[in-house]
Parts: sequence; structure tokens; C-alpha cells
Amino acid sequence: MGEQHIVVTITVDGSVTAETKNIHGGKCLDYIGLLEQLLEAQTTASAYTSDYKRVEDALTSPQEVRSDLHEQP
Amino acid sequence: MSVSIILVPIALAAVAAWHAAQTEEQDGHLVCHVATRMRDPQLLTAALTDTGASVETAEGEVVARWHGVDAVFRRDEQGIWSVHLTGETDEEQALDIVTAIDAAYGRQVQRAVLARLKARAPDAGLEVTSETKQGDDITLVLTVAAGA
Repeated sequence: MGEQHIVVTITVDGSVTAETKNIHGGKCLDYIGLLEQLLEAQTTASAYTSDYKRVEDALTSPQEVRSDLHEQP
Repeated sequence: MSVSIILVPIALAAVAAWHAAQTEEQDGHLVCHVATRMRDPQLLTAALTDTGASVETAEGEVVARWHGVDAVFRRDEQGIWSVHLTGETDEEQALDIVTAIDAAYGRQVQRAVLARLKARAPDAGLEVTSETKQGDDITLVLTVAAGA
């Protein structure tokens, strides 16, 4: 398994989009909560990316998650 | 001329959309509603400075002065900001001023979010391995530390 990444884009109005790369199984979902903590933000939308169907072996199903976050009021 | 603007939080703007479109006249001056992301007084002060205003803060209010136009920002009990502009301004110019401040505020939020993420990432087992700018957007790649 290669390096695991989270790609975080911060727009000029402060909105944040985050996408996990190479983080397999349910662990990718843990990073939503972590990002909410780091950013003091609230997820407004999340979805699996097209890579979620990629299967490395019979035991694990890789899932990558893209989340949109906004700062909490 | 004086214009008062109620700064409706964007999160509420959809619900208050009909208010957002209204311009009313109250006590002889115009009152408008504008959807905005502005909430934090410190970021507001920084945004106002970015627009070229001289800024003073006092208990519960922020006063900004440009050439010919003064603005007093106040927050009510529900945390909703309003701004009262006086001087060489009309409704259209007042709305333009607020739009410019809102855009500057967004850039301040971007800077604050970026700084917060860079400062906290290491303790969360994440390393910032790249930072790129595309247009006005900034993208960080965070690499998960081995064993994290």
C-alpha cells in the first residue's frame, strides 16, 4: 500500500474540500471527524469517490471519501 | 445619506431569503438585508483594514472609516451583525461596500483556516507535504505519518 494522503483545498471564501487518497476500508471515515476537529468546522456533504470500487484483495474494500466542510457558526 | 444593512448569516439566508431581497425604509433611512459569512469580530476588523479603512473597536461595535464614508458594525443578542453607513453613499454603493468587505472577510477566513491546519496537523499525525495555489484556492497535501 502506498502513502496515504488527504488533499485539502481551501477556497477564497474559506470553504474547505477534503479528499482522502489511498486510505482503505472504513478508516477513511475517521478522517472526516479528525478534519472537523482540526478545522473547527462541520461537514456539510460527503461521498465516496469513484475509487471506492477498487478492491486490493478479498478481505479489504478500499473506500475513499470526499468531504465538504464549512466553519461552525 | 445613511443606509443600514442587516448582515444575514448565509446559513440562515435561505430561510430568510425573502428578507434578503427586501429594502425597507425605517425612520427616514434605508434598511437592506445582505447574506454574508461575517461572524468573527477579529476577522471583520482585519477584513476592513484590507479594504483600506481605518478601524476602531469599542464595546460591542466596530467602526470603519474610509474617505467620505463611515460604517458602524454592531451585533445583536442573536449574534446578527448590522452595519450603518453614513456619508457620501447611497444604497447601491453601500451594498457594493458590504460585498467588498464580505469578500475580504472570506480571504481572512482562508488565511485563518490555512494557519490553523498547518499548526495542528503534526499533532494529528499529518505532515504537510505540499502547498499549491490555483487561482484563489489553496491546496494542501497532508501525508499520514507511518504508524498514525
